Amino acid sequence: MMGLLTRTWARPPELLGLWLLLAAVPVAALPHAWEQPPWVFAVLMAAWLWRLLIHLGNARLPARWLMVLLVLGGVALTLAEYRTVFGQQAGTALLLVMLALKLLEIRTQRDIVVSLFLAYFVIITTYFFNQSILIAGYSLLSAWLITAALIQVHGGRVLPFARLARASGLMMLHALPIMLILFLVFPRIPGPIWGSPHDTPTGQTGLSDRLEPGDIAQLLENEATALRVRFDGPVPASSQQYWRALVMTDFDGRGWRVDRGRPEVPTDGAAPGDVAYTATLEPTRARYLPVLDFPVGIPGQARLLDNLQVVTPRRIDSRMQYSGHARLDAPPAWPLSAEERARALALPADAAPRARLQAGLWRAAHGSDDHAIVREALRLFAQEPFRYTLRPPLLRGDRTDAFLFESRAGYCEHYASTLAVLMRAAGIPARVITGYQGGQWMEAGDYLRLRQADAHAWTEVWLEDRGWTRVDPTAAIAPERIETGLSGWFGEDADAPAFLRRSGLPWTVQWRLRLSDWHDLMTFRWESMVLAFDPERQRELFARFGLDATDWRSVLIALGGSLGGLALLAGLLALLRRPRDGRDPAQRALDRLSRRMRRHQLAREPHETVAAYAARVSAARPDLAHPLADFARAYTHLRYAELDTQQREDFQRQLWRALGEAKT
Amino acid sequence: MRSGKLNPARGPGLAARWGRLREDFIRWVTRRHHADGRRARVSRDRVYILPTRQGYMLLLILLVMLLGSINYSNNMAFLLTFLIVGIGHNAMWYTHRNLLGLKATVLPVKPVFAGTAPVLSLRLEETDGRPREALQLAAGAKAGPPAYVEAQASAEIAIVLEPRPRGSYRLPRQRLSTRYPLGLLEAWTWLTLDSEVLVYPVPIPAASAPAAAAAGDGEAATVPDATDAIPDEIRDYRPGDAPNRIAWKAVARSGRLFVRDSSAGEAAPTWLDWDAIQGSDPEYRLSVLCHWVLEAHASGQPFGLRLPGQRLGPDTGPAHLGHCLRALALFGRPGSRPA
Repeated sequence: MMGLLTRTWARPPELLGLWLLLAAVPVAALPHAWEQPPWVFAVLMAAWLWRLLIHLGNARLPARWLMVLLVLGGVALTLAEYRTVFGQQAGTALLLVMLALKLLEIRTQRDIVVSLFLAYFVIITTYFFNQSILIAGYSLLSAWLITAALIQVHGGRVLPFARLARASGLMMLHALPIMLILFLVFPRIPGPIWGSPHDTPTGQTGLSDRLEPGDIAQLLENEATALRVRFDGPVPASSQQYWRALVMTDFDGRGWRVDRGRPEVPTDGAAPGDVAYTATLEPTRARYLPVLDFPVGIPGQARLLDNLQVVTPRRIDSRMQYSGHARLDAPPAWPLSAEERARALALPADAAPRARLQAGLWRAAHGSDDHAIVREALRLFAQEPFRYTLRPPLLRGDRTDAFLFESRAGYCEHYASTLAVLMRAAGIPARVITGYQGGQWMEAGDYLRLRQADAHAWTEVWLEDRGWTRVDPTAAIAPERIETGLSGWFGEDADAPAFLRRSGLPWTVQWRLRLSDWHDLMTFRWESMVLAFDPERQRELFARFGLDATDWRSVLIALGGSLGGLALLAGLLALLRRPRDGRDPAQRALDRLSRRMRRHQLAREPHETVAAYAARVSAARPDLAHPLADFARAYTHLRYAELDTQQREDFQRQLWRALGEAKT
Repeated sequence: MRSGKLNPARGPGLAARWGRLREDFIRWVTRRHHADGRRARVSRDRVYILPTRQGYMLLLILLVMLLGSINYSNNMAFLLTFLIVGIGHNAMWYTHRNLLGLKATVLPVKPVFAGTAPVLSLRLEETDGRPREALQLAAGAKAGPPAYVEAQASAEIAIVLEPRPRGSYRLPRQRLSTRYPLGLLEAWTWLTLDSEVLVYPVPIPAASAPAAAAAGDGEAATVPDATDAIPDEIRDYRPGDAPNRIAWKAVARSGRLFVRDSSAGEAAPTWLDWDAIQGSDPEYRLSVLCHWVLEAHASGQPFGLRLPGQRLGPDTGPAHLGHCLRALALFGRPGSRPA
């Protein structure tokens, strides 16, 4: 008995395009390796290997009953993993498994074509998980391979790879204009038709709806981009850029909880002098929108709450672009209701006894002057040995007291929280705001890049004459942090993450950071040009041409107009590049003469020489004898005589003149 | 004779009716084309194009992709969907251009013996400067393997036709098609290139071929004809005479074409006679005659063929062989019929 591997089976007949299919499948499926459970990819690679062995003659096609078992097994595995075969994750897993099994089933060219179509489908499922520009470029590569394989399948013979590569590339290139037109003109419908677009939540990133000491410091390590902003007009100073995301009024002695159930309020509306900006938010899996303080104009689909927090109706699960307006230094002066005041003064009975004592002392010293009390607090932070640090010691006992009187080392959330508690203890309504502050100005793309690390927390206090007023204790302790961003403070700190440091970095890290900047720039461009295109933007585009994107007639006009224009352009190009029709000028003249004479049943017979033809026509039409004789002479010379350029031109002129004179 | 057309149209079944409908439709579509003769150019007005099953399959997949893109408002999915839409759309003119402008010339179909399939070959010429891939020729129910033509070059494309009984046939209508590059669409053209397909009777070896002496009956004496006026066994050239029999000396002397007449002076010619064969089946007799003709030609001796109402030769050479075989193929079947 021979062993399995030494045994060889009859190799199946050579199928065109099989090799390219085997190359294209792993390429198209690769991005899923990070998104799908390992077994999916294992199944795919096993089937791929099996197919390779079949192809090399070392294995056989599986029997039909085995195929049935494998298909059932694939469905069962998917069900076991996801409890369903529908939805993005489960559907993609099933698709990959079916593609794998299809590989084992290939018997004819048609099977290869089906597999290649499935591979196109595999590319599109990649975008459920990743829409980055890298993936966009990568899927072009996959699509190019698949198209090349399709061409090979229908090539009728083994085509040289260079020709396939060129043909496939050209086909894709030629498809770009149509792609672009359809992308811009095809009617966009907001929201899903069925189901939720994201059926598998993954953890929230960035700001959380609860703030405890240490939360934001944790984010410092996170260099992922949170928000990209482009300003329409002058860029406000860094110290004025507070990106407000969450407002927290409720304090339980340990931490702060984000406000819920706030009523919606109308916006003031933008006025001249307000800062206008467009922001792109990375998916947060939450509903808040970071907006520049203080929001006066908010994006259409969002709502402004009475604590000046902006929320969207739906969770933000994909990148979102929005525009807003901000009035930098004028918070709206709304009155504070008694209920609201009570809430903004509430402190748990046992919270921060020493801080309360301190606040009581300030209140006794300054009477009803709230401004003075705020100043006292900030002076305390600035004059006592408080440290602004990434790695504060653990706090024991009551956190506020422990921080205020013992450790005196902390990050923005420690200061914001402590200040708010002090204010409340002194009878001044206070709350904590989290959001982003600082960021990195990207010269090349002219935009501001805010990372998760730029997360910040500050305090707002209610002053009778000014309403809610921003007080940022961090600015008192570490002004550089506010004025020049994180790297302004941590630039020389050897403990800080590499991307914040300004010196002392090995070149590899410097290159990685440069690459990261470049990537962010590309992403920003990709975002603002492609991914941000939505029904809103389509409406704007249509409006620019005086069309209404919601009217199907307009859509038809736009579609017909642009595709028709494209066809016209392609036709014109083809006309310009049309190859000469192979006939030399003399032959063309003769053909034209013959066509003209056809009306008189005097067309030239194929066997007739020009001289004989001219004689025959002259016999029938003696009036044309003279030009016809000239014609025949010129023609004969052009065809058969050895002529220099000058003579050739002369005869050509004679030929055409004779043709002109031989009018009937 | 229009009624003696394609065989599939004869039967009573549904398939036959469908075949007839299809045939009528094709005739209606191609009514403005005139017969092609020996050479045709695939011009714009005779290229037809329709999606294939694969094309419809991709359309369906694209529809699903589009629905997914809309549902998930996924711009990259939109982009990919529309990219493939663009590729599929452009495949239309790629496929069309793969056929357009080709020039096809029919090569003479080599005569075959009944029972053997004749081979139809076309020479395809490319003059527009782009390589043409995966061209397929079909005629009747037969389709050939794919062929290709490089830019500014020519290539032959051939198919094996259905075997036919003895006779002369016109070529069936040809269909030159391509699905290159993506197989989503098929472009094709109908060609009516014309060439005669001659089918000789199948040779059947008979017990005995007539010996030269056996045919030496009274009629043999009448064979040498009036050209005897020229001495030295030389006569005027007749079309079909073998070039190696031209009497060059006589030509040089007189300026006229003479050939050495082998029928005179050499051995008495063999007569292959219809009446010499026993049996009532005319096809059998023709088959035997066919075998004799081939044998006689192989022997190199002059021979003549006598059929009811016809007499050929005596003579030698391939032209004479051809005339004899043609006479056998056409015996009782004047004119060619559509194959």
